[in-house]
Amino acid sequence: MKADEIIKKALEEGRTKLLEHEALEIVKLYGASVADFGFARTPEEAGDVAEKIGYPVVVKVVSPDISHKTDVGGVVLRLKSRDEVVGAAKKIIENVSVRQPGARITGFLVQKMAPPGLEVIVGGTRDPVFGPVVMFGLGGIFVEILRDVTFRVTPVTLQDALEMMIEIRSAKLLEGYRGQPPVDKNALAKIIVAVSDMMEAHSEIVSVDLNPIMAYSSGALVVDSRVIVGRVR
Amino acid sequence: MLEVFFNPSSVAIVGATPKEGKVGRVLVENFKKWFRGKIYPINPHYTEILGLRAYGSIGEVPGPVDLVVIATPAPTVPGVLKEAGEKGVRGAIIISGGFRETGTPEGERLEEEVKQISRSYGIRVIGPNCIGVLDRWSGVDTFFLPEEKMKRPPKGHISIISQSGAFASALLDWMAYHGYGMSKAISFGNKIDVDEIELLEYLAKDETTKVIFVYLEGVKEGKGKLFVKVAKEVSAIKPVVVYKAGKTARGGVAAASHTAALAGNYEVYRSAFRQSQVLEAVSFDEIMDLAKVLSTQPPMKGRRVFVVTDAGGIGVMLTDALVSHGLEVPETPSDLREALRSMLPRHCVVGNPIDLTGDADDERFIKVIELLLKRDDVDAIVVVALPQIPGLRGTLFNYLLEAKGRGKPILAVIIGSEVAAKYRRLLEEGGVPVFESPERLAKALSALYIYSAIRLHGARQ
Repeated sequence: MKADEIIKKALEEGRTKLLEHEALEIVKLYGASVADFGFARTPEEAGDVAEKIGYPVVVKVVSPDISHKTDVGGVVLRLKSRDEVVGAAKKIIENVSVRQPGARITGFLVQKMAPPGLEVIVGGTRDPVFGPVVMFGLGGIFVEILRDVTFRVTPVTLQDALEMMIEIRSAKLLEGYRGQPPVDKNALAKIIVAVSDMMEAHSEIVSVDLNPIMAYSSGALVVDSRVIVGRVR
Repeated sequence: MLEVFFNPSSVAIVGATPKEGKVGRVLVENFKKWFRGKIYPINPHYTEILGLRAYGSIGEVPGPVDLVVIATPAPTVPGVLKEAGEKGVRGAIIISGGFRETGTPEGERLEEEVKQISRSYGIRVIGPNCIGVLDRWSGVDTFFLPEEKMKRPPKGHISIISQSGAFASALLDWMAYHGYGMSKAISFGNKIDVDEIELLEYLAKDETTKVIFVYLEGVKEGKGKLFVKVAKEVSAIKPVVVYKAGKTARGGVAAASHTAALAGNYEVYRSAFRQSQVLEAVSFDEIMDLAKVLSTQPPMKGRRVFVVTDAGGIGVMLTDALVSHGLEVPETPSDLREALRSMLPRHCVVGNPIDLTGDADDERFIKVIELLLKRDDVDAIVVVALPQIPGLRGTLFNYLLEAKGRGKPILAVIIGSEVAAKYRRLLEEGGVPVFESPERLAKALSALYIYSAIRLHGARQ
């Protein structure tokens, strides 16, 4: 599906939040590298998808009614075989039926576990004065407590994106510390530009959170994507 | 397009009056004092105001009128503007209040009407509800504050765009008191037409403006992108210093996402300033510190600062401040060290800071600065001349005024009472910025460095 089809479908179905696989698909379409994933309707299908992706994987419930997947037992990590995947998906159905009865289950997101890296966040939102803006920051306490983030008004170029990485107070962490190699800034810049391009191209996109993104010495992977859409004013 | 506000050949003042204490009188007084074009006071109750022939309406004025200044009550403004339109006036500065800012339907209606009239006649408008324009070069002065209450700064090269009229007046009065020169100041009140973006474009091309200072409360909704674009273009021509008022987060807005929650008003502005390569002043002190350094100093080619001092302690304070603002205070190169050794008494310190000590005199300072000015490995010179020492008699300060034209930034630190104040004024009026605080000097010099890098390399270094 193309990006505008994904958005159109969501809006037609009355959803303002894209489903997990849709949100990942759309950033992938704009050139961001995303941890391998697939969508499955049933536990058996989840097993098939996992076989294709390779292990270890994580299975997450996909539902328009559930906003905190972990709280309802809708996420199972570190699955290493087809059997484990099918079992986990069945277990998720059971968990949801107990903890949030009545919630619709569209299916399952099966995603390759991304190796640990430096966690960063890239986002997009619409500012009443400046229009679409993109954000960059380090994940975890840096964004939650120190609010150490920086913005750019779109359209954002690769050069702008690289400047954003110098601008945050915790910029030195990107250069590597305690023997860690520096992260691949160009890979992160590509993700920032992807969010800028998305926001520019689709006025229905209200906001984007790519959180976390795992940054490595070579490459970076978007692990979780949250995209909110709405009718254009 | 905006030229008419700054260089009109004729001005009509609607609401002119000889009555003491009235805005309409101050306007006439101020134009009479400084403006060299034709002045037409408009008031049907007088045939003469402060020695000038008065007219009953704009239509009665015999010659052409370029600019009209309106200070009559809000309900009369649409009529006056229409008349101006018929006369072929191209610009109007509407001082009068009583429009949208009142929050009343009547005020809003009047403002809408004024907007319509200005569009249909093609009259550009500054205001309403503003103090308008003050141009020290052309003498246009609609700041309706009498000179004895608000001094006018001397002619100079700092121009000011201010969303707040009161702040602009206070700033100008303060600048006048400290001898800082200015070119133009504009406060546009409700900004129904001319806004900060267009003014930035105008001032970018204005020859007497070397630095633009913008006091900003907020850009209009949807205009942010244009602001970034224009500010970036202008920054490539001359430095723009912005102070953003209202930095605290807008509370209580339910945010749709993590990013939206972090995108507080100020956070986005701050990033937009970076993106447009304007320099942000984050405190009142910084506004003038940055403006006075940027308006007087040549570009700083690198970050190497040499300090020449007669006070070791201030030298150390300066070094700390400069380094913490990203500048370098490098070791004196060996050939310079030798040259200094051979010319200075043995007790002087030839490292950097170069400490000439308390028995220094004007000549000792001058010899050393002369050496530094000739070197390619010196990017800026800071002279710490505490005037309390007996050897300083003043020739140093006259020398600095000449040395400032030799291609390198030169700043001074002078601390003290009357004597210090006298030298400070001499230097500042001659374009050598003087600071009491080493920290403030360092911050301002680092802004010059950042701006120079933007000009020389297209980006911060």
